[in-house]
Amino acid sequence: MRAHFSRPAFFEGVRDMTPVLIGIVPFGMVCGIAAISAGASPLAALAMSAIMFSGAAQIVASQLIAAGAPLMVIILSCVVVGLRFLVYSAAMAPYLRPLDHRWRNVLSFVLTDQAFAGTIQRFRESGDLRANASYFLGGGALLWVVWQVATLAGILVGQVIPAPWQLEFVVPLSFLAILTPLFRDRVTLLVVFTTAAAVIALDDMPMRLSLICAGLIGIASGVVADTMRGKHE
Amino acid sequence: MSKEATIWLAILAVGAINYVARLSFIALFARRDMPPLLDRALKHVPAAMLTAIVVPAVVFVGQGVLRLDPGNAKLIAAVAALAVAAWRQSTTLTIVVGMAVLWLAQYALR
Repeated sequence: MRAHFSRPAFFEGVRDMTPVLIGIVPFGMVCGIAAISAGASPLAALAMSAIMFSGAAQIVASQLIAAGAPLMVIILSCVVVGLRFLVYSAAMAPYLRPLDHRWRNVLSFVLTDQAFAGTIQRFRESGDLRANASYFLGGGALLWVVWQVATLAGILVGQVIPAPWQLEFVVPLSFLAILTPLFRDRVTLLVVFTTAAAVIALDDMPMRLSLICAGLIGIASGVVADTMRGKHE
Repeated sequence: MSKEATIWLAILAVGAINYVARLSFIALFARRDMPPLLDRALKHVPAAMLTAIVVPAVVFVGQGVLRLDPGNAKLIAAVAALAVAAWRQSTTLTIVVGMAVLWLAQYALR
């Protein structure tokens, strides 16, 4: 593991990830607040951030726990929300495959929306695997540590932040920032509009099953559009 | 099952499954290529799932009340954030502008 470590690249990764914290800190706090208000103990709320390490999954899980959903519905919803990790994993794989298994195990754990969005460009541009891996580790480690601190802050002081501030709105905003660059592709735009329409139309479904159903409808619309476009070409 | 037990089982199960998903192509099936149909379907997962999370948080006020008019401060803030994100690919700026517009719109609409 040490053979692949580059200290300057690690700290470069830490430095470049720092601006992302402006979204991560309130997002982590919101996750802490959401878990506590759903009825989780402070320890469980912190374990959510340490083990799940996925804001989207934590928010969805907290909403379902608050609604008294059965365990299987909670797990299934979080797994569907987490399917995008397969995509990130596949996109990262060609760059990370040459590393030994310990590196791959550690880097996979810190693979998040923000770590992926913030580092994939560098992997595509630079062939220096040793520096890239350390760079990714630096950014990922910063995100993990700050995520725990932010969650703890949410657990401790979250309740005193006035509700009219709507701190929870940083969650859709941070996802919007990741989503918008994808709009340049026409099929992706179709997926976005189909999913949006479906999630509104299906809102009456119990236990937020609208999330899974709308997501699957959107994915299916993209596959169909790809197939049709393929036939025209 | 008690609520606390449900929460802990959910944490462990989702944590484990998420980790396997993150590891998947990096380590577990590193020597395999993805089946083409799965590849095509998965390509659309981030757009679909992020949309499915973002849209309800923006267009619904309170319990299931759909508001697609300018009286919804969250909708105004989301449109502003979308414009910023399209203009400058910056998460920081998107969040700062989005929250600022949300607070301004809430104040103006009061």
